[in-house]
Amino acid sequence: MSRGVPAVEEEDGEPEGPEQSVSAPAMQEGPERELSHEEFDPKGTLALILMYFTILVVMWVFMYFIEFLGNDLVVVG
Amino acid sequence: MSVERETFADRYPEEAELVRRSFLVAFTALGLGALFGIIQALHRTNVLRFIPSTDYYTVLTAHGVLLVIVFTIFYLVGLYQWAVTRSLDRSPTNINFTRAWLTLMTIGSVITGLTILLGFVDQIGISADVLFTFYAPLQAHPLFYTGLVVFIIGTWLAGVDWFRTWLHWKQDNPDERIPLQTFMVLTTMIMWYVATIGVAIAVLFFLLPWSLGLIETVNPLLTRTLFWFFGHPVVYFWLLPAYMLWYTVLPKLAGGRLFSDPLARVVFVLFVLLSTPVGIHHQYVDPGIAEGFKFIAMTNTMFLLLPSLLTAFTVVASMEHGARQRGGEGLFRWLTALPWRDPAFTGMALAGLMFAAGGFSGMINAGMNINYLVHNTIWVPGHFHLTVGTAVALTMMAGTYWLWPQLTNRRLYSRPIGLLQVVMWFGGMALMSNSMHVAGLYGVPRRTAEPQYAGFDFQTAFGSIAELNVQLAVGGTLLFVSTLLFLGNLALSLGNPKVDGLGQTLPEPLSGPDDSPRVLDNMKLWAGIALVLVLLAYALPLGAIVQNGGLFGTGGDAYPVSVLGRFDPGVGLDAVRELLGVGR
Repeated sequence: MSRGVPAVEEEDGEPEGPEQSVSAPAMQEGPERELSHEEFDPKGTLALILMYFTILVVMWVFMYFIEFLGNDLVVVG
Repeated sequence: MSVERETFADRYPEEAELVRRSFLVAFTALGLGALFGIIQALHRTNVLRFIPSTDYYTVLTAHGVLLVIVFTIFYLVGLYQWAVTRSLDRSPTNINFTRAWLTLMTIGSVITGLTILLGFVDQIGISADVLFTFYAPLQAHPLFYTGLVVFIIGTWLAGVDWFRTWLHWKQDNPDERIPLQTFMVLTTMIMWYVATIGVAIAVLFFLLPWSLGLIETVNPLLTRTLFWFFGHPVVYFWLLPAYMLWYTVLPKLAGGRLFSDPLARVVFVLFVLLSTPVGIHHQYVDPGIAEGFKFIAMTNTMFLLLPSLLTAFTVVASMEHGARQRGGEGLFRWLTALPWRDPAFTGMALAGLMFAAGGFSGMINAGMNINYLVHNTIWVPGHFHLTVGTAVALTMMAGTYWLWPQLTNRRLYSRPIGLLQVVMWFGGMALMSNSMHVAGLYGVPRRTAEPQYAGFDFQTAFGSIAELNVQLAVGGTLLFVSTLLFLGNLALSLGNPKVDGLGQTLPEPLSGPDDSPRVLDNMKLWAGIALVLVLLAYALPLGAIVQNGGLFGTGGDAYPVSVLGRFDPGVGLDAVRELLGVGR
């Protein structure tokens, strides 16, 4: 039978404020505000991912350049 | 002690002990593997050589098997045992069964590990210099394969244990969604069961009987194909525990919440479906497999980018949520609001960053045409040192900084040393894998102690091979020192006094499981589709391979020859006497 580890999902509230990560420095500041799903707009994530895509495309084209323009034609078969 | 701060070790002492035990095996393998890693790095680059080059394959095999089989998988079973127990909120159905599979896995690893290490003692005649990719014609001593069989059966039983625990939980909670961490464990294990079909057939029906001398020959292409049937999905077996930490622990460390539980479930289901029917992409240069099958494998592989990109979005968005809650503003300035002084957070974030770079070189490897440029060069180890060597290994080490206090009730010995360790790993790997990728483009081969051939110069576009060697050697050294710092920090933590209140909870996702369709939790459906996809991808190529070369091939010698018939116990005994320095 279940022995009931207190998952936060089931808690009624935290008496000691937001829980600090056990691996963080003791002086680390906790969250200043709570953002709900509706209030949160991950535009920074979008910017980072677009940046990554740009890098990917440039590097892929660079590799393609090395493969095909850096070598002579090869006949396969 | 407040209930809220009760640790996993307080509530589940027996389970915590098992997790600690599996981590102990994992970290022992990590230390040994790192030692063999630095020996390789310094030997290849000619900086320091104290082993004969003929022992290089033994070092390479020990490095590969100890790190990518023993370290990663023992960490996985420990982490998953913690996750199932925590998220289902219950003990295993029979903890003796849990002890049994962990013991079985340990025995298997010791047998395989010792067989590899005996390769350093030529006189005994036992060796397994076959690398992690242990297919024919390289042949190991039968003990190598026997240990692997015992180890894999142990992992299968671990899955049985977790499925059984879940089924009992389900009886008590018929209408509830599977808790996310348990969902991740179950899907990972379905993937593992499907993937290990290939290696089980290869070892039990071909490699083990062959090494025992029961059959004369094997079909090398068949064993290669069966190996890669397992050899590619196994990389996701390493990766998915890291994903579990990124999805469920990293948002908490960042001070936020997981962006989407449904997306996380979709990602894990995609890995069940897509990870196995791709292995032939490791065989683009193998003769005997039609180009069409290779093209299908390439297409399937590109689909695998989807769960990785979904993960990039979900995990980064969860970190951004934490940063915004901490007061982060702007398009990029929120990055500075993240808790960079927490080694668990920083380690995982840097591991994710390196995984993004590994994603690029992975795309190159997967591309059928461009793969020819880098195949069998040191580019490939450069790639997987970014993925398994950093995304997985660094996440596991960083996760340990958060998990270890909850498993031992002792604080970490030093948080700053932990921070230095994860940053040093990142720096070391940046140097080492960069030099490997670049050297690979110049054609420097992998898997050799002597990459410089006599009378041949590698032409570089800029810089020099010597400069790349320095990068590789310095990077490898930093990685070794980082491993020592990690292991030392954990060992010293055991000297800290036990304290109360180190327990941690995990925040619920912004978008919870009820936002996803219930069909995602249908394990039978996903397992069934996965098997159908595997059949579609593998039935024809395997049929063609057997038709062309026969089940047992057409002959050819194994190398190195080390079947039991060659083992002379008298010679072995003499060697032991010589080692001990007693009368001969």
